[in-house]
Amino acid sequence: MIKLVEVTKRFKQVRAVDNLSMEVNPGEIYGFLGPNGAGKTTTIRMIAGTLKPTSGQIFINGQNLEKNPTVAKQSVGFIPDRPFLYEKLTGFEFLRFIAGLYGVSNNILGQRAAELFELFELTEWQDELVESYSHGMKQRLIMSAALLHQPKVLIVDEPMVGLDPRGARLVKNIFRQLRTNGVAILMSTHTLAVAAEVCDRIGIILQGRLFISGTLEELKAQADTGSEQFEEAFLKLTGGHEEQILADFLRITD
Amino acid sequence: MKTYFLLLSPRYFSLLNRFRKGEEGSVMKLLVMLLVAAGFWTAIMIGFVKALAYFKAVEGFGQVLAQKLMGMVWLTFFALLVFSNIITTLSTFFLSKDLETIHASPTSLESIFWARFTATLVDSSWMVVFFGLPVFLAYGLVFKAGAVYYLHLVAVVVPFLVLSGAVGVIFTLILVNIFPAQRTKDILLLMAMALAIILYLLFRMMRPEQLVNPDAFTSIVSYFASIRSPSSPYLPSYWISEVLWPHLVSRSYSDSFFYLALLTTTAAFCAVTASWTANLLYGHGFSKSQEAARKIFSRTGPLDVLIYFTSLPFSPASRAIIAKDTKTFFRDNSQWSQILLLLALIVVYLYNFSVLPLKKSPIPTFYLQNFISFLNIGLASFVIASLGVRFVFPAVSLEGFSYWIIRSSPLSLKRFLWTKYWIYLPPLLIIAEVLIVFSNYLLDVTPFMMIISTITILFTVFGIVSLGIGLGAVYPRFETENIAQVATGFGGMVFMIISAIYVAVVVILEAWPVYTIFVAEHQGVPLPEWKLMVIVGCFTGVMLANTLMIYVPIHMGLRSLEAREAD
Repeated sequence: MIKLVEVTKRFKQVRAVDNLSMEVNPGEIYGFLGPNGAGKTTTIRMIAGTLKPTSGQIFINGQNLEKNPTVAKQSVGFIPDRPFLYEKLTGFEFLRFIAGLYGVSNNILGQRAAELFELFELTEWQDELVESYSHGMKQRLIMSAALLHQPKVLIVDEPMVGLDPRGARLVKNIFRQLRTNGVAILMSTHTLAVAAEVCDRIGIILQGRLFISGTLEELKAQADTGSEQFEEAFLKLTGGHEEQILADFLRITD
Repeated sequence: MKTYFLLLSPRYFSLLNRFRKGEEGSVMKLLVMLLVAAGFWTAIMIGFVKALAYFKAVEGFGQVLAQKLMGMVWLTFFALLVFSNIITTLSTFFLSKDLETIHASPTSLESIFWARFTATLVDSSWMVVFFGLPVFLAYGLVFKAGAVYYLHLVAVVVPFLVLSGAVGVIFTLILVNIFPAQRTKDILLLMAMALAIILYLLFRMMRPEQLVNPDAFTSIVSYFASIRSPSSPYLPSYWISEVLWPHLVSRSYSDSFFYLALLTTTAAFCAVTASWTANLLYGHGFSKSQEAARKIFSRTGPLDVLIYFTSLPFSPASRAIIAKDTKTFFRDNSQWSQILLLLALIVVYLYNFSVLPLKKSPIPTFYLQNFISFLNIGLASFVIASLGVRFVFPAVSLEGFSYWIIRSSPLSLKRFLWTKYWIYLPPLLIIAEVLIVFSNYLLDVTPFMMIISTITILFTVFGIVSLGIGLGAVYPRFETENIAQVATGFGGMVFMIISAIYVAVVVILEAWPVYTIFVAEHQGVPLPEWKLMVIVGCFTGVMLANTLMIYVPIHMGLRSLEAREAD
């Protein structure tokens, strides 16, 4: 459903993503993990079509994103980490705008919008300007917009940012339901617990390269920490020295 | 003091980084901007030197006029600065995004106040100082002033800026405690707009051109008397005039020190009062400015119905953009309120044609009417270009940080740009045709002139709108908070220059053919074949220019947007 073939992205001298190849299958949740600046968001944005790869190819639902961007993007729902929206539209008007862009008919829009507002607990706010929404409400509105056209591929950058525990649980349940419906989900996250809880496979990216990829159990086995905690495995796999640096910084060890 | 400089340091480093960044073409941009600014500066200087030299040459009366003018200039600057400080205070003290971090830090309100006060002063005053300087240098040059005049000039400028800044800050602190900051900004904006329109209309209706008409003077004595009457001695403009004037005309300047002291102490008093007011009101006002009012919007209002019917011929994606842009425009007070200015502009434009003294001209009225009608094509096109730089050029930048929505959607950038084109074309076409048809009607031109003007302006507007959208895509400013600033950048300037060249090309290409046809029609003489061929060639040239102008800019904009990456 999502396929990256030797994708590289350079920003002047910096190689943000380096020869990355990976695949996310239908009905699969793929967690994209890595420290800050590893290239997660750059990869996500290339798949969403807001950044262009320097080299390599991206396929969405079998369509080459560079050659057929319109058709490829039609299958994608994108949820960025920063909820920048049109502040002078109401929630409903924003969904109507998105419906126009993705070719959702007015009949379907009415029904879908009502369902999504209900699901994301925005019904009471749907006819108010986005500028009066809180950060979490904007994030929930973006999620509603991303799901409006029933995408086959969902790309999510930091899904839990700005959400309260109730909202976070709701999102996790939605992702599981979408997986059952055959949607391919690629999400980047810093929250290891979320990745461990919902992802079928996890890829760890370091300095723009896919360092390791597999199921949670495979990663734990590879790390061989003897601990059940995924955090331990993650820290060991990504170098582990951060823990010591943090401890030194906080001066809790002698 | 250390905290004061620390609070100002992000501004300093941001400015430094902008120069260090060394973006492609930034040196070129800076050079062009400097050249344009130097051009304006020189024009102001020359204008004032000429006017003052003329005044000085008029015995007795001239000096009074020059002194009066100086008072008026200071008064105008004072009003401008107070207003500019009010608007800037709203941003620097209440709406700026970094305020949350600053207020959450263990910094005293007093330190925040003085740092923000300085930032406000710099932001609102630098332009007035820059463009005001040639005026007062012109006074020094014409009246052959010595070094003491220039020293006093420096001595009055600083307290003058502090005084107007303090008045602006105090006024805003009180206002924000009555209304929330966002609402206050809207109210002030509307007030300023209404005031500007009233002043503009009043000034025009006073028909200042009659001042150069000797018949209009019924009593020169009463005019002279009115000009001699002194300004209010309570205004800072009067004090400054009293400080500077004696050094220009070698008059005794014993009072000069008194007025300088008066100005300086008043400025200091007002600054301290502003600080006290901030201690009392800033905390409460800032807290209030964070509140947002809830308002429910109907889904079937008149605007929804209008958008629905006018966008029917377009694709669903284009209709979505049309609806979004129209609603955003009418819900943003800083945007729609400019329509009022636009209406005033149209009224005055047409009024000018109604009062043209054509019958007094030595040239036959019939020729003159049609000649003016032809020139009017260029003038109206230029008006459309001015509207274009304000409304069409920022159309792409208007997407702001939400541009990622467009980029990640299946909408092609080509359709995105052409939709923007069709959003802005109809209103500008209507305005252009209203200007041309009504002014031609007032001029009572021939049917040939009426047809040629309406068709020429029609195609010119097609070109200008394309140029606005295209260059707006080449020079987008998605990160800007104030969309009105987009027009004032380098791209806006390029748009105005190319528009002016385009309009000039069209007018020059049409001038000879239109004149030839007009004369032949008037004299009832058929056109010789060679003239007909040249005429056809010229009109083909115009069509070619129009076609290029419609396609090339949008194509360039498209290439540029495709190469650009959304944040």
